[in-house]
Formats: sequence, C-alpha cells, structure tokens
Amino acid sequence: MTIKGTSLLLLPVCLLAIAPAGLPPYAMTLLTEALILGLFAMSLDLMVGYTRLLSFGHAAAYGLGAYAVGNLLLHTAIPLVFAIPLAALFSGIVAIGVAWVCTLASGVSFSMLTLAFAQLLYAVAFKWIAVTGASDGLAGIPRSPGPFGITFFQSRSGFYYLVLACLLAAFLFCRSLVQSPFGAVLRGIRENEAKTLSLGYNTRRYKIAVVAISFTLGGLAGALYAPFAGFTNTELLFWLFSGQVLIMVIVGGAGTLIGPIIGAAFFMLVSNLLSSWTDSWALFFGAIFILFVLFAPQGIWGLATRWRSLSSTG
Amino acid sequence: MALLELDGLTRRFGGIVAVDGVTMRVATGEVRAVIGPNGAGKSTLFNLITGVIKPTTGTVRFADEVLTGLSAYSVCQRGISRTFQITALFPQMTARENVRLSAQARHARRWQPWGGDAVFAGAEARADVALERLGLIHVAQRPAGLLSHGDQRLLEVAMALAQQPRLLLLDEPTQGLSVEETEQAVETLSALLADGSMTVLLVEHDMEVVFRLAHGITVLHRGAVIADGTPEEVRANEGVQRAYLGGLA
Repeated sequence: MTIKGTSLLLLPVCLLAIAPAGLPPYAMTLLTEALILGLFAMSLDLMVGYTRLLSFGHAAAYGLGAYAVGNLLLHTAIPLVFAIPLAALFSGIVAIGVAWVCTLASGVSFSMLTLAFAQLLYAVAFKWIAVTGASDGLAGIPRSPGPFGITFFQSRSGFYYLVLACLLAAFLFCRSLVQSPFGAVLRGIRENEAKTLSLGYNTRRYKIAVVAISFTLGGLAGALYAPFAGFTNTELLFWLFSGQVLIMVIVGGAGTLIGPIIGAAFFMLVSNLLSSWTDSWALFFGAIFILFVLFAPQGIWGLATRWRSLSSTG
Repeated sequence: MALLELDGLTRRFGGIVAVDGVTMRVATGEVRAVIGPNGAGKSTLFNLITGVIKPTTGTVRFADEVLTGLSAYSVCQRGISRTFQITALFPQMTARENVRLSAQARHARRWQPWGGDAVFAGAEARADVALERLGLIHVAQRPAGLLSHGDQRLLEVAMALAQQPRLLLLDEPTQGLSVEETEQAVETLSALLADGSMTVLLVEHDMEVVFRLAHGITVLHRGAVIADGTPEEVRANEGVQRAYLGGLA
C-alpha cells in the first residue's frame, strides 16, 4: 500500500515540479499560496482528522509563524532558509504551553479554549506595535539571501520550489507519523479516549505532542506566507481564518492528509472564481460546505478514493 | 501473599457514600468476585482501584506499593488491566488492531513517532495469542464495532489479557448477554482461568457465573462489605441472603 501510495504521489509531484515552466506569473502566485494553505490545512488535519481535537484557533499557529519570521527577516540578517524553520519551531514551542492549558478540557471546551487563545493573540497583535506593527502589520518583509550567497529562493519560481519542498517534506513526515506507533495511539484517542487512557497511555501527553507538531507545521506555513506576501497583518490571527482552514480540512477530507491539501486548493480556486463575479462569494462557499457536511462528510478525497475502489471492483 | 490490599477505602459523592470503608485482600493466583445488588458500589470500587476516581479516604496497595493518587494510565502500567461494564472498544479498528493497540502499551517504544515495524510486530504477536485464547481469531479482521455483543465483551477481555497483567479486573463480563452467549462466555473464561496462573478480581451480577468462576467472594451492600468467604460460605450466609440473594438461594 505504501509503495502504491508513493507511486501515486509521483505524478502530482512531477506536475507541480514543472509548473513554473508552463504557468503565467499570476497563476504561479495563486499556486504558491494554495500550496502554503495546503500545508496549513494538512497540519490541522493531524489534530482534527487523526486525534479528533477540534481546534477553532489554528490561525494562531499561522500567525505565530508569520510574525516570528517577519521579525527575524526585518531585524536580523538571518537568511530566509534558516528564518523559516526557526519561526516554525517558535510556533511549536509556544504550542506546548497552549496545549498544556487547552488539554485540561476536552470536547467543546477544548475547542473554545483554542479559540480563546487565538483571539488573545489577535488582541495582543493589535496592541504590541513594536513587534507586530498593530493594525498596519509588518510590511516590506525581505527574502534575505544566503547562506553562501544563495539567491535562488528570492525569485518567484525559486520561492515556489521552497514551498513545494516544505509541503512535500511535511507530508512525508506526517504520513510516517500517522502510521507509527505514536499514530496508532492518536487513532485510539480519536475513537475512545477513556479506553486509551485505561490501556496505560498518558493521553494528555500525546495530545500535547500532537498539538505541538501541528503548530510547528502550521507555523511553517505561516513562516512561508510572510516572505511570500511580503507582509503580515492581524487577519492571519483572526478567527475567520481558523474557520476557513477547518472548512478546507473537512471539505477536502479529514484524516487523509492529502484531502486537506486538495481542500485548500479547492478553497483557493472556488473563492477566486466566485469572488470575480460576486462580492458575497463566502455565502456560496458556505453553501458548498454545508452540502459536503450533509452529503459527503468524508470530503473530496474520500469521494475520490471511494469512486476509485468502486470502479476497480467493477 | 496478598497482591492487592484495600484498606478502609471510602468514596463519598456529596452526601452519598458510594464505597464505605472497604477492606479486602486478593491473593496471587486467586479469582475473587465482588457481588452485590445494583448501586452497591462495585463499579465505583473498580474505578477507585484503577485510579479513574480518587478515594475520599483509605488506601489501595498493589504488590506492596501504594497506588492511591496515581492516574489511570500509571495504575495500568503497574500491571493492572481492566475491562468496562459498558463495552469500551475502538469500533472502527479491526479486532486485531484493538488488541494490538492494547499490547503496544506494554512496549518500551510505544510512543515512537516514526516507523515502528518492530513495535507493531511484537504487539501483534501478543494480540494473536490473546485472540486465540478467547476464540476470536476468526473475527480478527472484522471492525470491532461490527462484532456481536458477546464477541465484543470477549474482545475487551482479550485486550486486557494481551497486556499480560499481574491483576485482571473484569467488570461484569457477561453484562447484556443472552443466556446462550453467557454460557459461551463463561465456558471461555473458565477455560482461561483454569490453570490458576492469573489473579482476577471480578464484578458480576449473575450468581451462576460467580459460583462457577470465583474461589472467593466479597459481598458489598450499600458500599460496605457485609460478607467475605468461599462461595459455599457466602451462599450459606443469612445476611447475604437477606440483602441480595433473596429467593434465589
């Protein structure tokens, strides 16, 4: 199955690798953003799809990564390729504390605590002018070159390859994680936490670990976004964004890793198409979301795999 | 030698005393049943032993170590595995995966966040032994949620067994089973316990089951111990008959 899964992966990866040769600049910009959002949605899938930890505040991970990398690139000479993982790590370390608090509760209370924490960061970002630029945000974030004078990642397509490499590495990491003994315990927590605890697993520690990993990868997405866009603003921390990424996960197919990446691309595509002919595009996307929840709770990827298995069995 | 010792174990919920000064011993190799009418505090007693809830006063000692105050997962890691009165499984996993996850909890690298083929192989070997012993190997590939209720009850026992516990706690293993299913389950369990290598504390409703499986019986009534002895002694005890057995004996 793993070998088959890997060979299935080859085609989309090859297509994405040659994309810069064939696509116009505007499309490349959209594609880069879609991949960043895909990474962000996939990071949330570890919590939502694999552990059933419903986070309403995942924008916090993205925002932490974005503001951290913004400050590193604006105020230090650290090269882009080092600043990004440092910012991701920062997001993950903050998450340990957050998760320690949030996992005191479970179920809806857990979700509310994640939301409260993200909104707290949002409020802080509005006040702490020195670090966040308040409502102006951070502007003019450079893609600092180096080390050894490497300037490849400055260009549009160079940065695209950096994003693609991060997404691919994160995907392989997550896939290995969910298939490991650690991942088996997460599935146990998802299906019956009390039972998992009674089997001798310190479930809270596993939950804190998965939140930290999820925030590190979500922070990585945010840390890629800031130098991609050249700016950060408080919207990256707003609850609306937390809701949108949750929708990407569910529409794409929670608990599949691939699904949320597709969900993010789908979200980008549909919101761009819809917003070109109506201002109330969010309304239509809301309708699409409701239809998915009602009729295809397994999401786009769930539908695709079911269709494939149906057609292969005859 | 007593493996499990409870001393003056008490738990109050507001004004209600659910478990009232329970003192009892379970010797190594013994199968002891705790019986009593509904609301006698049997399940609360299990939850106190396994650390799910904390006692108001009193102590739980296991193999000369005080367990009182430890969390549920650490109690389990000391070698006490349990089943639940209301079936607790991972319904979407196969029966084998259920038992494998249980066995994995005893592996030093149970948390390993990559690879894990060796961890899984070891756990699966233990899982298959447990499934075999409970006659579930033929349904190993089926999702646990789709098994018959009787098989689900036994699957929970298999999960506990796969941990090779020093003390096995069974909370009403025949709960909700039909007469035939109960017969089948008791058959399987008595075969399992026949060699006397296991120490078991059993909560049970069904007197027939208790008399067939247990060497010793502790009777609870309104949270307190009212009798303690061999099945014959308990059957003959007048207080027990009044409180519980009623017209049955």
